[in-house]
Amino acid sequence: MVIPCSGIGKVQGLISREAVYRVVDALTPDRAETVCLALLVTGDPETIKKVRPSPCITIDGCPKLCAYKNVEMSGGKVFHAVHVFETLKRHRGKPFGSPTALSEDGWAAVNEIAADVAESVRQMTIEHR
Amino acid sequence: MGEINKVGIISCSGEEIPAGTVSRMATRRVLELLRPQSTVTLCLPLFLAGEEMERRFAREHPTITVDGCDKLCAKRGTETYSGQVAASLVVTDILGDKAAGCHRSLRDVSKIDEEAVWIVAKKISEQVDVLLASIPHSEQIKEAGDASCACSCGTPAPEITIQINGKTVAVNGLHLIFEHLHKQGLEPTNDYADRVLDTVRIYHFIEPAEENFYRDALAAAYRKYCQH
Repeated sequence: MVIPCSGIGKVQGLISREAVYRVVDALTPDRAETVCLALLVTGDPETIKKVRPSPCITIDGCPKLCAYKNVEMSGGKVFHAVHVFETLKRHRGKPFGSPTALSEDGWAAVNEIAADVAESVRQMTIEHR
Repeated sequence: MGEINKVGIISCSGEEIPAGTVSRMATRRVLELLRPQSTVTLCLPLFLAGEEMERRFAREHPTITVDGCDKLCAKRGTETYSGQVAASLVVTDILGDKAAGCHRSLRDVSKIDEEAVWIVAKKISEQVDVLLASIPHSEQIKEAGDASCACSCGTPAPEITIQINGKTVAVNGLHLIFEHLHKQGLEPTNDYADRVLDTVRIYHFIEPAEENFYRDALAAAYRKYCQH
């Protein structure tokens, strides 16, 4: 289960969201899926039932770590916590875009994070077989 | 005056469905373009992960929730962790059949998504106006460029100014309106001035007596925009 924070105020939130789509739609579509974080926040039983037994990867835009904290609070187990802000530090000064649109550098960050997450997904699914 | 009388808008995160992306994009459009001086937002998951400051949000702002689907996570989450919402909008109710053609990733965004975002953003703006009308006038925020996000990261779109009958007039987010029209294929050749004027009029009050000045100024500004 790969879950982004989807933060609405910063470009990091959009990068987290798009990285998840890259993973679940393109890189490892048969091995990973996502759920709405808001459904976890509101305690939706069906979503909690999906999340609890699955190894989770969270992708957080900012240090408030909303995705990580909400998955843990709902009883899910986070195997890999990805921090977009740490990735962006390695490319300091580049224009990544805005909360509604990504620049070329923004999409490159999405691809970098997604590749890292997809690799984790592959490893985790091998370990869980 | 603090931000207490700004209208709060909380979008669901809605990662699983395209309507969640529409909800998020429409909320940003209202914050950046349509009502930048009078709106504020907060990430929904912050209610649980955040602290008391975040949880005070809906108690301090009349709040509109914008949900992607009828599970109403934004509404339920806000009311559980913060306070009663003033209005609840649901993207799939607003768009009806149009929601089916939308995409969840911006990589796949199309004209259908763009249209959907505008429709929902306009609906949110109308609701903002209704709520603002219920706030005593003296308490409303008036200062220009005071749009913000509660997590201190939202920045209003820069204003473009035009000359109207000798006066300098700022039209919030004019470049985004132009971008929208340009994406729709509006060329600055024939019969474009009225369409530009009609679109701007939705978001910016135009005195009937000044309509011709606006038409000329906006047409010139749009022509210039399309040349770049």
